[in-house]
Amino acid sequence: MKRRSFIAAALGLPLLARAQAQSREDFFNSFDTDGLVKSVTGGRSAQRGRVNLELPLLADNGNSVPMKVSVESPMTEADHVKTLRLLSERNPERAMAVFHLGPRAGVAEVSSRVRLAGTQRVVALAEMSDGSLYMGTADVVVTLSACLDGAG
Amino acid sequence: MTTRREFLKVSAAGGLAFGFHLPAANAQNVAPEINAWVVVRPDDTVIIRYARSEMGQGSMTSAAQLVAEELECDWSKVRVEYADTNAHVRRKRAWGDMAAVGSRTIRQSQDYLRKAGAGAREMLIAAAARGWDVPAAECTASSGVITHGPSGRKTSFGKVAGAAAKLEPPKEVALKDPKDWKIAGKPIRRVDIPDIVTGRIRYGIDAQLPGMVYAAIAQCPVFGGKLKSADAARIEGRRGVIKVLPMEDYVAVVADNWWRAKEALKELPVEWSFGANESASSESILQFLRAGLDDASSVVVARRDGELEQGLAGAAKVLEAEYFTPYLAHATLEPMGCTAVVKDGRVDVWTSTQNAEASHATAAATAGVPLENVYVHRVQLGGGFGRRGGSQDFVRQGVQIAKALGSTPVKLLWTREEDTQHDFYRPLSLVRIKAGLDASGNPVAWYSKISAPSIISTLLKLPLKEGIDPQAVAAFADQPYSIPNVRIEYAQRNPHVPVGFWRTVGHSQNPFMRESFVDELAQAAGKDPYEYRRALLPAASKEYGVLEATAKAAGWGAPLPAGVHRGIAVTEGYGSYVAAVAELAVSDKNVVDIRRLVLGIDSGHVVNPDNVVAQMQGSAVFMLTAMFWGEITIRDGRVEQSNFHDYRMMRLREMPKVEVVLAPSGGFWGGIGEPGQAAIAPAICNAIFAATGKRIRSLPLKNHGFEIA
Amino acid sequence: MVARVQVPKDARRGEVIRIGILIQHPMETGYRLDSANQKVPKNAIRRFSCRYNGAEIFSAEMSPGIAANPFLQFATRAAESGTLEFSWVDDEGEQGSATEPIKVT
Repeated sequence: MKRRSFIAAALGLPLLARAQAQSREDFFNSFDTDGLVKSVTGGRSAQRGRVNLELPLLADNGNSVPMKVSVESPMTEADHVKTLRLLSERNPERAMAVFHLGPRAGVAEVSSRVRLAGTQRVVALAEMSDGSLYMGTADVVVTLSACLDGAG
Repeated sequence: MTTRREFLKVSAAGGLAFGFHLPAANAQNVAPEINAWVVVRPDDTVIIRYARSEMGQGSMTSAAQLVAEELECDWSKVRVEYADTNAHVRRKRAWGDMAAVGSRTIRQSQDYLRKAGAGAREMLIAAAARGWDVPAAECTASSGVITHGPSGRKTSFGKVAGAAAKLEPPKEVALKDPKDWKIAGKPIRRVDIPDIVTGRIRYGIDAQLPGMVYAAIAQCPVFGGKLKSADAARIEGRRGVIKVLPMEDYVAVVADNWWRAKEALKELPVEWSFGANESASSESILQFLRAGLDDASSVVVARRDGELEQGLAGAAKVLEAEYFTPYLAHATLEPMGCTAVVKDGRVDVWTSTQNAEASHATAAATAGVPLENVYVHRVQLGGGFGRRGGSQDFVRQGVQIAKALGSTPVKLLWTREEDTQHDFYRPLSLVRIKAGLDASGNPVAWYSKISAPSIISTLLKLPLKEGIDPQAVAAFADQPYSIPNVRIEYAQRNPHVPVGFWRTVGHSQNPFMRESFVDELAQAAGKDPYEYRRALLPAASKEYGVLEATAKAAGWGAPLPAGVHRGIAVTEGYGSYVAAVAELAVSDKNVVDIRRLVLGIDSGHVVNPDNVVAQMQGSAVFMLTAMFWGEITIRDGRVEQSNFHDYRMMRLREMPKVEVVLAPSGGFWGGIGEPGQAAIAPAICNAIFAATGKRIRSLPLKNHGFEIA
Repeated sequence: MVARVQVPKDARRGEVIRIGILIQHPMETGYRLDSANQKVPKNAIRRFSCRYNGAEIFSAEMSPGIAANPFLQFATRAAESGTLEFSWVDDEGEQGSATEPIKVT
């Protein structure tokens, strides 16, 4: 087995997308964001937009990375964010967190600190009161995990 | 008076640009960029930006060669500058990965670097064509000059750079075939050599700032311990001492010069709470690893082919052996350190780092400021070898100390003792190997169980898929020989000693074990070790090719003078394929006289052949040093070694003749910085066996009474 | 379990305020090995809830993907004065709680 493919496989990285040298955008775009979303929504895709996920561009280690997610929503009884999900393709548990909001929130905004298993694209998925799905993403480079093959 | 202690402004043409001042404006926004990688000045100077770190491995030059090749500029007008990390962050990581680790600067960036060069060339041509009102397709570029074919009109890059910078980059560019290379692929002199030779090169340790103070630190001698108390009053009155800073896991003494800081620190009464590991020793650690080997309760299988038990049961002969390799220190010539100033919410850092982006992120997190407020000033490294990438402890410390001092710049510098005793060591490893041979001596079964720490788990704190650390099992889990029944198992055992990436990582030790054991099999089969391997490697494999090229260059099989014997080894590593043949004699006093070391490498493409040769020779120095004397031992929870008197380095006169065989087969990009080490130890030890009948199953050689001639 | 709550000292009715809480908890990933080489079992705060005068205004399901010593900050419209009650439970079934008064004018 080729060494690079072995390492990629052992780390659970999709092999084909990352075994070649590639640009930074290619690396993040090689994550199957739509597949990740569908895996938690029972097959439904989400529209991009309205969801703003803020994560720092760089984190020195992945242990504690400040995160803020906000959604453009009037947060009225008729039109509000019901749930906000944080999804990770690289963490052992893909659903990092689910936040339940409601019209009493006033604004759809949650801050926390997340743990990231290496450089990755994190997805914030919002389900609205009318059932529609919106998403935003943020790419985080965990700089200390750069020592691994294919960590991007 | 020497210039070493003076400020440096941007250096003169031909050298690199170092600034030990605090620039008011970001100089990189001044000249017109064609793209993030290429700046062309009106005087035709081409500035090629380099994102990663230069630590003597030469990639600063090779990377620039790749850009220049596609750019079609005049190499004599090229200057290479580091990409600025602050601009990088503000421009959303415009320069991508900045890590010089894993032997992957060239192989990971070659595509986008070449495209950047080609894209810039197209934009320069387009600007010239527009100026002449002719189709761009009728124009060509060569050596910095653009020519319109039909009319013969010419212009230079510098004249059209301003216009080119305003154009849209092309969506697609075609790249040259390496066989057409004129700059890449050539043994061009490294761009930093003039500054190295004239003493103008600047390392992290050379940082000087007005009003700068100096810090020495002491960390807990037992890993994992904490600082309990430091009696600052006892040294505060000493001449030059400015402050004593007790931190959670270290204490720093700040003074007006480093000698005074260091000497005061020696006199500082410090109490540590050592924690649970004070009783650990090399012996207890080895026991812990052995328990891992013997532990059948939770077995992690890294590779399973066929049916091992059946293969062994059906074997005519079964061989078994245990191999061991120790902890190793990086021992970079420049100890760890960091100069930092935290002022008005802005952080400036000067440090030798293998990943300026990681230093940037660490500085921001430590100071608690946004990434946009951090400036990591780029310098050369006095050796990296993996110490300064995945562990940014020295940056964390430097910024912590700077923050505690208000806005005074401080240079933190570790002593050699601190550096030796607070490393992230090459992990030790205890491996049991078992193989079964058929009646013809061919291996029908191979078993290896590796009991070793996991760098990924402990340093990077990342989960392991199925419990396998790929670096701990490297060269075993992907061994290339045609053996039908294989099982490779891993027992993760993490003693308290911190581990990290030491040059060549898992390939710095596992090929020694594997290739020595293959030699044992060849001996048991009564076969020539070179022919034995050839028969087991797929003929189309790259291992086969480089093994053959190296053996041929070494003259394997030709008669040797009396007393001189050969050893051979081959392995893959970092995407390249390496082989080694050692010729040596061993005296009756066990002095090893290496007459010849032939190192072959197939790295696919070669960007700078002179640099590859240098890296292979450097690998020989590093690995010979490690295999003859290198070991870090533990007593009472702490590292016993401290300086170069007990952690010996090779001497100039001991260096053997190293011949390098470049055998690039094309079509792929393999690493250079690390694979060169991988085949050396087994080749030498196999030759020692041929010379003495003594099989070496653990390193260093000094523990077996061997010395180098 | 120890927790520190941040609530604005006073709020005007109808104003959107931010409520923060920092809980002391290791949020073990299940991948860490202790010194005896045993896996430290996965243990994260899973369910978290905040009630404002009895009505749940925010809840979360978490995983070890939330960093150790979990910090959460969310928004709510200040309604009437009263009490904010926070409660949570982790993988081991350990429950934690905190209360904080809220004054609304």
